[in-house]
Amino acid sequence: MKERIKEILNSFFITVTLINVAMLILGKLLEPTQVFGYEAFMYPLIYGLIGTIPSIVIRDKKELSVKQELIRKVMNMLLIIVLMLAFMFGGREITSELIAAAVGVAISIVIIFVLVNLIIWWLDLKTAKDMTEDLLKYQEKQENAIR
Amino acid sequence: MEIKVKEILSEETEYIEIGCHRRDSRVEEIIRFVKLHQGTIEATKQEKQYQIPLSEIYYIEAVDDKTFIYLSKSCYESHKRLYEFEELLADRSFARISKSVVVNLMKITSIKPALNGRFLCQLKNNENVIISRKYVAEIKERLRG
Repeated sequence: MKERIKEILNSFFITVTLINVAMLILGKLLEPTQVFGYEAFMYPLIYGLIGTIPSIVIRDKKELSVKQELIRKVMNMLLIIVLMLAFMFGGREITSELIAAAVGVAISIVIIFVLVNLIIWWLDLKTAKDMTEDLLKYQEKQENAIR
Repeated sequence: MEIKVKEILSEETEYIEIGCHRRDSRVEEIIRFVKLHQGTIEATKQEKQYQIPLSEIYYIEAVDDKTFIYLSKSCYESHKRLYEFEELLADRSFARISKSVVVNLMKITSIKPALNGRFLCQLKNNENVIISRKYVAEIKERLRG
């Protein structure tokens, strides 16, 4: 449970940071003169929360293989896209502008999702390297103890 | 059960003798314990019994209600439950890495990240086993000694 909470929080804060970066870049490119109030600070947090909902809801009882985990990640991402689009555009009339905006949001979500997972993987890679080094030392120690 | 320990001459072969009224499950358990301390565990393959040296075991896996012992290229079955192996082999370079696997730490060549905070152990026979999120902290601690 502790590991799960840690993982969800990890993913939430990385997501919020990347949403901030995405909003900055997209805002500078599309609406450079737009002015926001303090409520703008809330959006990355809300979007980050929506992004973590699938990880909170979906729990695996069985240990998944790497392939199964990849498939689950893709399904997770699709669910985030649906939730985010429903939150942002739900109830509005479908127009060509709305479709273009929705496509833009969906692409941003894919980019952010991939980046979040790449950052987490990179952090895990460092942990794995440390563990491998400790493992080799452990094995050497055990072999010396036998001799 | 009374326990007698007799010191013998260094040139004599050490032995353990059990005096019992009948060879029941309690006696079998003592025999298994002694064998384990000698570095082997009992396992079956095609209804034949074998003594498997601990140093040859790569990992032990529980599948449904059965427990399988994997060597480099062969697999044996055991009547013991996985938690029993976990307890028995805790001080013998074996560690629980997921709900269903106990691995021989001496058979791991490298550790790589898998997805979702899990790690993949590559074994010397090129098989892979997964360290699940729940056991990562314990394994780190164990390897650091």
